[in-house]
Amino acid sequence: MSDEARLLAEIHAARGLMRPGGSGQAALRPGHAALWAHATRMPGAPVDLAVARAIRDDPDTARRYRAMLGARAVAHAPLAAAASDGALARRRVGPFELEILAGEDDAPPLLILRGTGARMPRAIEAWLGDETVRLDLGPPVEGVILLALDPAVPDAALLGRMLGDPASAVFLL
Amino acid sequence: MTGGYDERCAADLANVAEGRDLSREDRAWLARAVTGAVRPNRDKPTWDLAHALAALARAAGARDGRDLVTLALDPGLGHPAAVEARLGGAAGTDARGLVPAEGEGWRTTWSGLVRLLALAEFVLTAEDLAQFATVSGWLDDLAAAPDADGAAFLARRLARHLAAYRNAHLPLAPLERRFRAILGFLDGRRAFTDDDILACWRAEMHEGERPGFRTVAEHFVTFEAACALLGGLEGLAAPISLAEHEGWEERLDASLADLAAADSADALAALLAGWPDGPKILTGAEREDLADFLRLEPFHRTRPLTTLRATSFGRVQSGIANRLRRGGGGAGIAERTACADAESYAALQARAGTLAAHLARMLRIAAALRIADRDGLAPEARAALEAAEADLRRVRRAGFEDRAGLAAGFAAAEAALLRLAEEAGRMERALAALARQRPLDAAFAADRAVFADAFAAAYAGEATA
Repeated sequence: MSDEARLLAEIHAARGLMRPGGSGQAALRPGHAALWAHATRMPGAPVDLAVARAIRDDPDTARRYRAMLGARAVAHAPLAAAASDGALARRRVGPFELEILAGEDDAPPLLILRGTGARMPRAIEAWLGDETVRLDLGPPVEGVILLALDPAVPDAALLGRMLGDPASAVFLL
Repeated sequence: MTGGYDERCAADLANVAEGRDLSREDRAWLARAVTGAVRPNRDKPTWDLAHALAALARAAGARDGRDLVTLALDPGLGHPAAVEARLGGAAGTDARGLVPAEGEGWRTTWSGLVRLLALAEFVLTAEDLAQFATVSGWLDDLAAAPDADGAAFLARRLARHLAAYRNAHLPLAPLERRFRAILGFLDGRRAFTDDDILACWRAEMHEGERPGFRTVAEHFVTFEAACALLGGLEGLAAPISLAEHEGWEERLDASLADLAAADSADALAALLAGWPDGPKILTGAEREDLADFLRLEPFHRTRPLTTLRATSFGRVQSGIANRLRRGGGGAGIAERTACADAESYAALQARAGTLAAHLARMLRIAAALRIADRDGLAPEARAALEAAEADLRRVRRAGFEDRAGLAAGFAAAEAALLRLAEEAGRMERALAALARQRPLDAAFAADRAVFADAFAAAYAGEATA
């Protein structure tokens, strides 16, 4: 049978893969399921602190988590345009445009999200360095989502600050 | 890498197997599905997986692929009982597992589903999640239309995906070439001798491939294990036999499963690699020596001559290969190819004997530590335990002075110790039988001439450089 040598090679490799040689590293990191649960959590839902810490401290875990987040995102922008300097008031994330209107008097700053995508995002997650924040976006009205970045709400204030920084990454989920 | 897979593949598999705490049999199945050692159709696992996911999407009323990803990544679904507890009773299931939708001739049991979900996690997370977005997008497509067409479409995508993965991470071509050479050399024979292994290696050295002797011997280990199966495959090629082979597909799969899992539940190499810390029952050097002798399991008991050749001249050859890689250090190539430093077979036999005796001694000490209450024992047994007890006081090794720690250390290592002692004993007997047939000094002298000749010819270019 002409397939014999190929089958033997496949069996040989499978037997080799059954031999020990685990690095033991895997056990120390959050598993795929834990990262996935974190990536798909509802905004405001309790956070597994060990997972959040691993994402913050371990670059490999952070990369895996972002791969999952990117897969679930309606749109994402790993980094803002490098050309811009100073604070951003406006940035594009895939087919969506994000704009921050500065607050006036008593009114808080306002995040405006406009999109032409068939599916509007339900949440936004921003990353800057080892900080991360996720907020519920609320339903769109005629293709526009408005979110008040109330300085009195820590997560909202943090999101406003991050979105203004060109180095931040944004995932629309 | 001579094993036919790269580090990435080993890590991808280990992540899934360890995360789900898969049984050895399920790990072996997953390894086969990944390497493609599945017959008659290499793509059967991905076909089954796509249909299982479609059935799960229908049962759960999944709106997008997210629920399927959640199921696939769930480490709690690594055992049949857990899968049944979670999914049993849902639409599209019966007591045994997932049942086919109308018109589908397909079904899977709970234990089959354990494996398929592990494969799903593998395709999602392989290459350190580089393809996660692509594959989860495919699951979105399936969830949108979880019918027979959707399942067949996903099956084709996954089969292509896995084929691409094999191209990137499983360099099987050199292995295939080597097995082809072995098959050509044996010319239809299934039985082979130690000298066949040596002749086959020499032929490859002559052709310029320069594989390690040990590497070629490893291929013969797999070949020998697979021979019964290959005989069966050949029988199937004859048209008349298909009808006689009722259920042959299942039987074929079972034979392949045995091959991948290896015949012993605990491979000896795994025992040595996972040796617990604690009292120095075995030193690092002793473990390395044992690993060297036992690496070609089961040849240490069935083909002692090949074991001696691999240990003695395999080491010379890896010394040459290492020096070529480093570009210097230690003795020159010409000096090494002469095999002047090769360890003689008599010396290796003596070392194997010392190791076997040491393991037997440790086993007696283990018994003495374990059996404290000796009143009801026969006088001979009691005397043996007391002798071991006295012997224990003579051992000068780290950790042997603290009795409580020592007892715990021996208890942790007991099963592995028993197994190694048994195998070392079998090797010792095999070597003694060989020595009776073929005096080891003469065999060594003859082999040294053969290996030196092969090395000198194969490494001539580097030796004069």
